Amino acid sequence: MDLALSSDQIAILDAIDSLAKPYAAAPTHEAGFAMVSDALDRELAEGGFLDVAFDPDLGAVSAALIIERLARLPYAIEAAASALVRPLLGDDVSRPLCLVMEGKHARPIRFLKAGATVIVTGHETVSSFTVSQDQARAEDTLFGYPMGTLLIDPATVAMPCPDVSPEAVLVRWRVGLAAEAAGLLAAALGSTATYVTDRQQFGRPLATFQAIRHRLAEAQVRTNGVYWLAMKAAGTLDPGDAALAALHAQESARATVYDFHQFLGAMGMTLEHPLHLWTYRLKALIGALGGRGAQGLAAADAIWG
Amino acid sequence: MNFEWTPEEAAFRQRLQDFLAVTLPDDWERFSQHGPASPALTKYAETFCGKLAEEGLLTPHWPKAIGGQGLDPWHQAILAEEMWIAGEPRGGQYMNVNWVGPTLIKYGSADQQARYLPPISEGKALWCQGFSEPGSGSDLASLRTRAVLDGDNYRVSGQKIWTSYAGLADTCFLVCRTSDDRKKGISILLVPMDTPGITVRQIPSLIGEGDIHEVFFDDCVVPVSARLGDEGQAWEIIGYSLTNERLGIPRYALARAALDRAVSLLQAQAEFASEAVKLEAAHAAALCEAARMASYAIIDCRSRGEAIGAESSSARFATVMAERKVAEFVVEYLPEALADAHPYLKMHHQRGIVAGIAAGAAEIQLNIIATDVLKLPREPR
Repeated sequence: MDLALSSDQIAILDAIDSLAKPYAAAPTHEAGFAMVSDALDRELAEGGFLDVAFDPDLGAVSAALIIERLARLPYAIEAAASALVRPLLGDDVSRPLCLVMEGKHARPIRFLKAGATVIVTGHETVSSFTVSQDQARAEDTLFGYPMGTLLIDPATVAMPCPDVSPEAVLVRWRVGLAAEAAGLLAAALGSTATYVTDRQQFGRPLATFQAIRHRLAEAQVRTNGVYWLAMKAAGTLDPGDAALAALHAQESARATVYDFHQFLGAMGMTLEHPLHLWTYRLKALIGALGGRGAQGLAAADAIWG
Repeated sequence: MNFEWTPEEAAFRQRLQDFLAVTLPDDWERFSQHGPASPALTKYAETFCGKLAEEGLLTPHWPKAIGGQGLDPWHQAILAEEMWIAGEPRGGQYMNVNWVGPTLIKYGSADQQARYLPPISEGKALWCQGFSEPGSGSDLASLRTRAVLDGDNYRVSGQKIWTSYAGLADTCFLVCRTSDDRKKGISILLVPMDTPGITVRQIPSLIGEGDIHEVFFDDCVVPVSARLGDEGQAWEIIGYSLTNERLGIPRYALARAALDRAVSLLQAQAEFASEAVKLEAAHAAALCEAARMASYAIIDCRSRGEAIGAESSSARFATVMAERKVAEFVVEYLPEALADAHPYLKMHHQRGIVAGIAAGAAEIQLNIIATDVLKLPREPR
């Protein structure tokens, strides 16, 4: 057991921090529900940051670290599927990747747009196709991601990926979800902590009231737990570890998102404060992969049979 | 990051499991319900710890110079996990190896080390922790038990309460006041429990026979040489001790083992088919594993010689969450586990209520996290 970052991982995270510096500052006015940057996405792809898991020496843990770090930015970046699931399919798969459960394609899909690759995971097969202009429609949602709706049934166009197991996709999908949630939770917690430290009521900072301090401290405990369960699941790629990580991520997001907004008071209802850029992404992740119930059952079956 | 145990670490864990399998009596699970502080378990613990010592498994993480093998904190964690999963057959002696010994190693005089460390490493010592007082629980710095210097001695008067193991302990790690300064006026005395003027009364408890006591000090004479560290150094020493204590009890491991046992029983009764039950079990497992990993992150820091900070409070609170969730799961879906039919689960439930109290209340851990991890401004006082 050795939980320290390797020198390569430290260097990669330093490079990401350097690259992302111009994108780290959250806007303070009318950011909209989701923020995207094609330039940032392009820089990450060209820098090879989303390809680290193709290298067995770096592996899925390095990918999870990158996903977690990028999620802290105010921008929504399609990193989780590209960094963790794409190595199962090949590096010629076009980004962004959109992960869809078989039979659930009618729901809004994160990052769906023309040119994206849709990966459909069923009980026994994985299939994929590249989305054309007339197959997707952009959706105006309350989630913190760019989202689209498929205008076709994937079964009519998707080609089987015979060498890819659904189980492997689900494991990496869950690991990516947990790693992304860990970063989002960390950023939302940090943003909330800053606000309640600065905001004075009754003659003192809101952060000095125990009603707020204890709930934020519990959020820290949850955030730390999600981070470590995500990293462990990335390290083992065990179905039980991955399901537990995703379950804890979704449960922790559910338990904290409304608290974070609550502590901002009316400011937490505005688009002037950037908190929603993280929490409204967490809301999307809460419902991913069938939600907590599906992760819980998957974990129970993997652990206890 | 590498989440695999090394072959050597795995072999160490296997060695412990093999030792437990051949050493614990056949009726151990029923026997362990007596509670770690009971006379029966305390007596058995002397035999058990003696055998552990013979095998070099009682204090393997201590320095070689004082009877240990210098093994790293991961071995200490593995040892603690296996002992707790087994129901802690070391009884109250777990405190000796986890924090009393290491604290004496760091702060004790040569004479104190020569007197107290050998009995600990031979499995023959039992300590109690004289911290809480009737008016000083979470607010430990308000304690009033006073030690007044009188020549080469202190005269100690006051009362401790909720003191584990005091009924059978041979020595008290006594925190007392030597001046009026709130924190700098607190000192530690190592007091033999047969010192004239000490009276111990047992308090009936939910967590087993002999666990909680009141201890009265009535003008006890304690030599100055029994003081650990300098006068007024107690707050620093307590911080060191509690950091070890908070990490020394891997309740997440026992909670997870109890959860696995409960699920196994439910499966045998064909009652683990319900999705609601499975989901609750999975939530409990997630909290156990989150607490385990939070603890491992601290152990990893320690193994690299880094200072342990407030993150240990985060790991501790994660463990409280896990312990509660498992206990709630068992009460809801396997209520017979609180009866004699399943002594292992009964033992877990009996001890679980301690998780949020011992070694500092859970609310104090949240305060520490808020101030020292999240860097929030302190509450006004």
